[in-house]
Amino acid sequence: MNIYVTILGMVLVTYAARVAALLLLRGELPAWLNRWLKLVPIAVFTALILPPLLLRELGDARVLALGPALPAGLVGALVAWRWGNLLLTIGAGMLAFWLARLLISG
Amino acid sequence: MNNDTIRAADTLTAPSAKHAARGQFRQGFADTVPIWIGAAPFGILYAVSALAAGLDWAQTLAMSLFVFAGASQFTAAGLFAAGVAPWTIILTTAIINARHLLLGASLAPFVRGTPAALKALMAFQLTDESYAVGMRRWLAGGGSPAYQFGSNLSLYLVWQLSTVAGILLGGQIPDPAAYGLDLVFPLTFIGLLVPLLKRRVDGLVAALAAALAVLGALVLPGSWYILLAGVVASGIGALFSRHGDEVTR
Repeated sequence: MNIYVTILGMVLVTYAARVAALLLLRGELPAWLNRWLKLVPIAVFTALILPPLLLRELGDARVLALGPALPAGLVGALVAWRWGNLLLTIGAGMLAFWLARLLISG
Repeated sequence: MNNDTIRAADTLTAPSAKHAARGQFRQGFADTVPIWIGAAPFGILYAVSALAAGLDWAQTLAMSLFVFAGASQFTAAGLFAAGVAPWTIILTTAIINARHLLLGASLAPFVRGTPAALKALMAFQLTDESYAVGMRRWLAGGGSPAYQFGSNLSLYLVWQLSTVAGILLGGQIPDPAAYGLDLVFPLTFIGLLVPLLKRRVDGLVAALAAALAVLGALVLPGSWYILLAGVVASGIGALFSRHGDEVTR
């Protein structure tokens, strides 16, 4: 039962973070906040991209680790810039990863 | 369908508006399917690691159904295995998932006209990935709550199905990271980010966020670096776009 109580606690803290701003930021937002929030996606996407490409988990810490993920990301960025297609970006990036890994280990 | 058609469809009256919403829902669902390639193996792996941590199948599934946040589910499985106190697990979950505050804030201006109950429902399935898919559409002018719900549900569905698959398959699963499948996530965000980089200020924000995220990830625990880079880089960018959108290339 203790495990379900823990899971319930996880549900509550997670949902609170998800719902708070959606419900609290109502009505017409001030212009400065709108400008700020409009740029959040770019900042968040970038923050979700770079660490997985450049870093590796080492226990609780992260360390710089340049490997096949980096060329995969570059190829993905090139494909996204040229064709703007999500599936193509993922496919080309994965292909680049496998090729780069083959080259590095072979 | 281009953006003008979508906007026009939004203004139509009841029956056709409902029809349009259904179309947008389907589109959001379909546009999220590429991410399944990355999500499914990790849903399976999550279930395997939760079972290995001593949770039973119902507890493993309950976490996917109700927490529905991959990184924190993996971490919790590890903490359960280590026999850590419940409040530590809950606090760690809160820290990992605090970044959703920012996703919600960024989504808020686009759903101002949506009823609170629908927003509360939308928030339940808010993830990095479906936020990203929905946000690309909102920023292009064609977003809608129906589209966002479609994307949310798409990811929710694959996460539940893959959790069940992991429970059924047990320990016979190779590590998806060994095949580089964890790369699907950054590649997804690359595919969504690059088309957004149009103005000079966009590039500035991305460059700042890149530096802050990498430095933050090296020195801060958990996913604080996402919150840090997300708030600070966009805030500095906002200072440079003071007079609307005229900082163009």
